[in-house]
Amino acid sequence: MNQRYGDISFEDRMAQVDFRVAEEPHIVVDTDVCRSCTTKACVHACPANLFVPTAEGGILFNYEQCFECGTCYLVCDGGDAISWSYPDGGQGVVFRHG
Amino acid sequence: MRERAGPASTAVIVDQPRRPDFDAIVVGAGPAGSAAALELARAGHSVALLERGPFPGAKNVYGGVVYGRVLDELIPRWYDEMPVQRWVTRRQTMVLDGERSMTVDFRSQNWGSAPYNGATTYRAEFDEWLAGHAQKAGAVLVPSTVATRLLRTESGRIVGVRTDRPDGDLTATVVIACDGVNSFLAKQAGLVPGDQAAHTTLGVKETLALPRKTIDERFGVSANEGVDIEMLGCTQGIPGGGFLYTNAETLSVGLVLGLRGLAESGRRPEEILAELKRHPSIQPLVRGAELVEYSAHLIPEGGYDTMPRLVGDGLLVAGDAAAMCLAAGIWLEGVNFALGSGMYAGRAAASALAAGDLAGLREYKRLLESSFVLADHKKLRKAPGLVLSERMQRRYPGLVCDLVEGMFTVENPRPKPGVRKLLRASAKRHGVTLRELARDALTGLRTFG
Amino acid sequence: MAARAWCSGMADPLVVVLLRWTDARARIDPLSGEVESDPRGAGPSEADRCALEHGLRIAEAAGGRCVAVTLAPEEATELLRDALACGADAVLRVAVAPWDPRVPDSGAATARALATAIRAELGEPSLVLTGDHSADRGTGSTPAFLAAELDCAQALGLVRLSYADGELRALRRLDRGRRERLAIPLPAVCSVEPAGLRLRRASLPSTLAARTAAIPVVAGTVEAEPVTAHAARPLRPRAKELPAPREADPRLRLLRLTGAHEEREPPRVVVTDDPAEAADELLDYLRGKGYL
Repeated sequence: MNQRYGDISFEDRMAQVDFRVAEEPHIVVDTDVCRSCTTKACVHACPANLFVPTAEGGILFNYEQCFECGTCYLVCDGGDAISWSYPDGGQGVVFRHG
Repeated sequence: MRERAGPASTAVIVDQPRRPDFDAIVVGAGPAGSAAALELARAGHSVALLERGPFPGAKNVYGGVVYGRVLDELIPRWYDEMPVQRWVTRRQTMVLDGERSMTVDFRSQNWGSAPYNGATTYRAEFDEWLAGHAQKAGAVLVPSTVATRLLRTESGRIVGVRTDRPDGDLTATVVIACDGVNSFLAKQAGLVPGDQAAHTTLGVKETLALPRKTIDERFGVSANEGVDIEMLGCTQGIPGGGFLYTNAETLSVGLVLGLRGLAESGRRPEEILAELKRHPSIQPLVRGAELVEYSAHLIPEGGYDTMPRLVGDGLLVAGDAAAMCLAAGIWLEGVNFALGSGMYAGRAAASALAAGDLAGLREYKRLLESSFVLADHKKLRKAPGLVLSERMQRRYPGLVCDLVEGMFTVENPRPKPGVRKLLRASAKRHGVTLRELARDALTGLRTFG
Repeated sequence: MAARAWCSGMADPLVVVLLRWTDARARIDPLSGEVESDPRGAGPSEADRCALEHGLRIAEAAGGRCVAVTLAPEEATELLRDALACGADAVLRVAVAPWDPRVPDSGAATARALATAIRAELGEPSLVLTGDHSADRGTGSTPAFLAAELDCAQALGLVRLSYADGELRALRRLDRGRRERLAIPLPAVCSVEPAGLRLRRASLPSTLAARTAAIPVVAGTVEAEPVTAHAARPLRPRAKELPAPREADPRLRLLRLTGAHEEREPPRVVVTDDPAEAADELLDYLRGKGYL
């Protein structure tokens, strides 16, 4: 709620982007690995804000509004914690002004 | 188990196909892939052009300007038909520090008429246009299809790709991987060395709508002329930079952030972008504009020294997949290198196919070296290191602004200080020794000279 | 009628699936109200995709042909290629001029153009399938007009559709969670809701074949009946007449009119931090309304 005048909320920002949501997730996080991760870089580095830390130290993840950039698996310190792939052909983000 | 393309995917071992489905498969209908497919199809070879998005360009984001000169070789008078938003006639390099900024502003009306120089565009339109040329030449575009794995024989020759469609194996004599910065195919072929996160940056971009007239007035341009601004010192100390360019009725403003620096900073990308948009030099340009799209994409910024091997057995790598992005501070180019590398990959593949000898694929490397694609990268191989260095990112923007502020602040009755004295003082204030300054200047001269 | 139906053992029943080419993410200018659409994002709606899947399955079960038809400008060719790749035996585009916002919608004209083209190019259909609110600009009137044009039965709002032993059976969604089981006589026009199944993913060989296939086109027109303006005045909806309540006591009549003391489900605001609880609430609501 610390939104400044002139900014738009993150939800509104993402609402401007066309996502064709696939039936199956293309990101799966092994939260057991996350519990021992101290940095949790994916949480703030993901430009779509898909990763949310939970109180138990794990990670809650979404795949629906993913830009498919690959930042999360590249910054992940936990080795194989994030199983990442492109969504099925034709699904996922569709940029019009990229 | 559904077929997917990711960091964990591996090549499939298959038998040598007796009769391949196509002469060549090009994976990815971006500028590199479409240029490659166009060359191959024109040479009379059968080509499948695979694209994972619903249309070419759907997954692609770029940071400012398409320099289309290399298209002279592919499409005569391309500038008459290419989907252009504005032709860049004004180019600025801006150094920001706190609430200050120093800008070098160059304008040339020569760039606003044929044969032009750089253009701004939407990738959905540009990529589709180029893929359309490849299709007209005879390439078969297959959209909404992910190439998940390479098909490889026991002996290591690449003979095709597996796709995520049912019954999805596709074979060819040559595969050209133009599958972008994450290039899982180049990785499966074992061509990619080292730590990708260290030399990859994240680009985030907002496209903001403004009336055409407002853009013309704010940026001092008219008709189809446009502006491209490259920025340094706007990333809160994270190695990277910023950009702002004009489209017909939108602005695109964005940041490029080194992944390692971003991960360590604990900052969110859109927050840093919001701060840039509040800078007194940027805020008046973007004020009142309405967000029409937010986008993000990775950029391979490591340059020549981080490129994968470009030729495998039956496989060529081009475009972002081959790290063909030139991020050298004053030059920020990528689409032209993708076009060039794709074109030469297509050309090398076509002649290898015609000769019936895949050893001819090695010609690709030679074509690249004798052209701008690798010549520029080789020459500027030290540039990414210099531009993304701690001094360039965190100290020089403040130093430059201090120096210029000192020069133009009139403190009468005190007489004007000498530039040398100002330089020494501001260097000291920012913890830069004159020796370091001289060394970086020399590296800069050697790199760019 | 029965002579036309496939259950009579007539060879080669024809299942026509009508696909409406539309941009589901069209932008509307908040000031001018102008609609901006982008052919790149356009395609069939989810309901139409469901209709195609139904069509493919029914044609397979009946040993007939499934043909995808759209009434759209040239950009819609991609949509037909996708239908071919998914397994449609043939496709047809009824060419019309690009959408002109000044021309009024007409489900009747759309239906007429479609019926004419289908009869001329494909013959008498045994079953016409479409998504709910399809074929024209989503007025929802086209299937009814089409049934009239083709002189056959109509069923709409279908959530399930199956063909077995020469009989077409369907489940229709009604309000308040009710369902209606239908045995649909053939020939028929059926419109389906986006529920129950998803369009199959096309195989690579059929996708490749569809990429270079010729897409037949016939010219069509959707000239709407000219609108005659009888009078121009501000819109003043007429007062709605309600029968007077039967109660003898004026106070009771008044209460009845205001709706006070009447049994009904009060609106509720559900606030929960627990995602599982929130999901249960949503599911209960959807079940209650008959969506699940």
